[in-house]
Amino acid sequence: MIEIINVSKWFGEHKVLDNVNETINKGQVVVICGPSGSGKSTLLKSLNGLEPFQEGDIRVDGISLKDPKTNFIMLRQKMGMVFQRFELYPHLKVLENITIAPIKVLNQSKSKAGQKAMELLERVGIPEQAEKYPGNLSGGQQQRVAIARALAMEPDIMLFDEPTSALDPEMIKEVLDVMVDLAKSGMTMAVVTHEMGFAKEVADEIIFMDEGRIVERGTDKSFFENPESERAKEFLRKILI
Amino acid sequence: MNFEWQVISNNFFFLMGGLVTTLELALIAIAGGLVLGTLVGMGRLSKLKSIYYPSTLFVNLMRTQPLILVIFWFYFLMPLILGRPIGGFTSAVIAFTVFEASYFAEIIRAGIQSISKGQIDAAYSTGFTYWQAMRYFIIPQALKNMMPSLITQAVVVFQDTSLAYVIGLREFLRSANVVDAREMRSVELYLFVGLVYFIVCFSMSRVCKKLELKKENA
Repeated sequence: MIEIINVSKWFGEHKVLDNVNETINKGQVVVICGPSGSGKSTLLKSLNGLEPFQEGDIRVDGISLKDPKTNFIMLRQKMGMVFQRFELYPHLKVLENITIAPIKVLNQSKSKAGQKAMELLERVGIPEQAEKYPGNLSGGQQQRVAIARALAMEPDIMLFDEPTSALDPEMIKEVLDVMVDLAKSGMTMAVVTHEMGFAKEVADEIIFMDEGRIVERGTDKSFFENPESERAKEFLRKILI
Repeated sequence: MNFEWQVISNNFFFLMGGLVTTLELALIAIAGGLVLGTLVGMGRLSKLKSIYYPSTLFVNLMRTQPLILVIFWFYFLMPLILGRPIGGFTSAVIAFTVFEASYFAEIIRAGIQSISKGQIDAAYSTGFTYWQAMRYFIIPQALKNMMPSLITQAVVVFQDTSLAYVIGLREFLRSANVVDAREMRSVELYLFVGLVYFIVCFSMSRVCKKLELKKENA
């Protein structure tokens, strides 16, 4: 469970997160949307400590990110992350991309990690790509490898930072399918995305951010059919064309 | 004009002894400069001011000094600091390592900066530490990008070692100089020295070119 309590963050003078409060319960899927520059990616990256924040607190399973004794290395092992630009390691083969963290961080044996990686590649539908380098894969395939890489650490929580926005349209679905499967398997997920189809299908809650604040939150029905704020209405008009 | 090339063959082993000293000095300086330069280059990217400022000061200080002065510094300074003479070779090794480290540091800093920040975020997000992320992901990729610059700098180091001549170190150029003082065959000797420098440096730059082509094709 993740509790975000009164979190504020500044880049210099500019306030990028403004008193954000949110709770993500175990097994929940929360979709975060909003215009670019609204602070949604910053919020997501603050959940696993990639972005520090100045005020408030975030607790992951009761562990405070503001506590100086908190071990971020241990914390991050339980929180997988998927990035907009995939960020696969280009000098390692697909299989190695997936196995390196289990081997070096969790001290798993090569054979155990390799076996698990192949299972994950089966799960995301591209076992035949295991021996290739990421540069030889399509964007959609790369993002599926990135999901497998995160899952190899057996995280309790998965964070997705605009996972489909760098993809060609015809590849978006193959990535979303994997994410929907993951959501239905009970994974706790925080997903920054504009894919409202995905949100409608699996989100337990949708939060809409603007200028660092959560301006609207709701389940899919209340959010899509009856947004309260002008900003959310305008945003939905634009992306639902 | 008549050449007497026997001066080379007659003194071949003596000259080769000098070349060995040059190669030793260059190899130790390159290896030491790379290690120190990697640490300083990383220090130049550190968010910690206590690491950033000393690294930056070091780089700027070294890169604003003529190498020959740095060689003198260490030659005269080290015995004062240590309280005993350390010999020309050791002081030259220290001077070259420290001096070249500042140049390697800037190449390595640029190399690390050429890798997107997303790579280190990706490594952090699966529980790697800073040092592990550097070792498994950032440095290997950065090395590939900066290999041509590193080799070019290594060629420069090899040429620079001839300056150790000023503190009387009997490296390759100095050996030819010694022979010349005895045999008075400057033209043959320095042509030979030039040829050897050319062969070593040219073959290193060919390797560099190959690596660059490989990078483009990758």
